[in-house]
Amino acid sequence: MSETAIEVRNLTKAFYDADSDRTTIAAYEVEFEVKRGEFVCIVGPSGCGKTTVLRILAGLESKLGGSIDMKSDNPPAMVFQEASVLPWLTVRENVGFPLSLKGVSAAKRRARVDELLELTGLADFADALPHRLSGGMKQRVSVARALVDDREILLMDEPFGALDEQTRLVLQQELLRIWETTGKTVVFITHSVDEALTLADRVLVMSPRPGTIIADLAVPFDRPRDVVEMRRDKRFWDLTYEVWRLLASTSPERHA
Amino acid sequence: MSLVTAKLTEEQIRELKAPAQRERLFRTISYFSPILLLLLWEVASQLNVIDRRFFPPPSAIAGTFWQMITSFEIFDHIGATLRRVSVGYVMGAIPGILLGLVLGLSQPARRVLGPIFAALYPVPKIAILPLILLIFGVGDASKFVVIAIGVFFLLLYNTMGGVMQTPQIYLDVAKNAGATRLQTFFRIALPSALPNIFTGLRLAAGSSYIIIAAAEFLGARSGVGFFIWASWQTFAVSRMFVGIVVISALGYFTILALELIERKLVPWAKH
Ligand SMILES: Nc1ncnc2c1ncn2[C@@H]1O[C@H](COP(=O)(O)OP(=O)(O)OP(=O)(O)O)[C@@H](O)[C@H]1O
Ligand SMILES: [Mg+2]
Repeated sequence: MSETAIEVRNLTKAFYDADSDRTTIAAYEVEFEVKRGEFVCIVGPSGCGKTTVLRILAGLESKLGGSIDMKSDNPPAMVFQEASVLPWLTVRENVGFPLSLKGVSAAKRRARVDELLELTGLADFADALPHRLSGGMKQRVSVARALVDDREILLMDEPFGALDEQTRLVLQQELLRIWETTGKTVVFITHSVDEALTLADRVLVMSPRPGTIIADLAVPFDRPRDVVEMRRDKRFWDLTYEVWRLLASTSPERHA
Repeated sequence: MSLVTAKLTEEQIRELKAPAQRERLFRTISYFSPILLLLLWEVASQLNVIDRRFFPPPSAIAGTFWQMITSFEIFDHIGATLRRVSVGYVMGAIPGILLGLVLGLSQPARRVLGPIFAALYPVPKIAILPLILLIFGVGDASKFVVIAIGVFFLLLYNTMGGVMQTPQIYLDVAKNAGATRLQTFFRIALPSALPNIFTGLRLAAGSSYIIIAAAEFLGARSGVGFFIWASWQTFAVSRMFVGIVVISALGYFTILALELIERKLVPWAKH
């Protein structure tokens, strides 16, 4: 259980825009570790570099400095922040997309996809094209797609950000259940302190841009968690206060 | 926990279906709207508002047309033109689409090959027709080639534009899902560019008929273009109009067919 799955050291990333000759430091000397099977949330203000760090972990972006070490047999699966369902594929085809790329037989693919459609409550829309789905349903398609080929590491970039409170709660509970049964390693980005405390074993707090990790807090609640019941626990609110204090103390207004 | 059984009233259902039904009606009307123009023409010509020597009434043209149908004369010309257009079209469209995908996805390819095509594109296809006749002779081969060239460029640029507009997120999804370059090519770039490709196909269909008419004026013994030219030489104005109507109708129905195919193949795009 103490084996390291992801190790990030001194990770720095900057963007350069030649037209305006401007350099943006998106992440600065970011350091953290994630153990195998652990659920880690990253919170931080908008634009602090959360997405950038995750994209580097997913191999979608190059890094400028530092090192990352991912110890897993397969590349990480990513759930993107923005709408990412492919509009020309049906829900079923979208979810099965990674499998079809690997040439998994149609029958096997169908069985696995059906399983996930059931799990994410999309079974009734299996053959619909995405333009017929609500925003929340599209997001569930993305989650199902990231789970379909059973990778060891799951990277989630505000997957429930655009959802209403109620749907979000349902999906959080679902995600926890899936995570508990599969033992995946999860890195989950969120704006929401509440969501981070609900889901994570540990919460990493990032400073405003250029983002770096300013705190690493353990979340003490027992598993399996009940996302509604845990809100009666005083420790939940103490931790909420602690994270808010950290975020506020580094807000750019204070420093200016 | 009680589940409500939801039921719509008949009126609500009617209201729900109304826009789709209106859309169907307009689509049907749109197929027939050119007929209105013909009617106006007929009346104007019969009343001598326009010169009958140059613009015989559609009914007279229809009479000539009917003769040509019953004598099967027209079908040989239509057949020749359709054969040339369709072979040339396919010869131009397939390389145009494939190269458009390559140039759209690969910046190096765009850098190296882009200027060559940019320099060749503005050359009017009809201007090089004599050269093509010289190289390929007056047979069908020269017609295939000149149409293929025109179609090629339209599909190259439309496909390339479509691929370059592919949202980055779709490419990221493919990469994260483990797609190879070839898979990204056919399963992301191609479908994403499909609406633009169809725009190119429609434009190319229109320009194919312009090119074939000109090509058949110059060097052919058959085809609708040849037929128009031959009618001009004998001042058979009615026959000339039959030719013009036939070639317009061919273009019209080709584009209509392409639109139907597009609706089937690209159901996710707005039409
Ligand atoms: N491709 C890019 N080119 C240039 N700048 C970029 C690029 N991607 C991100 N940035 C910049 O890097 C910084 C961090 O962006 P990032 O998307 O990682 O933020 P974030 O923490 O995910 O924000 P949010 O919570 O709003 O999603 C921002 O200032 C952004 O403008
Ligand atoms: Mg982000």
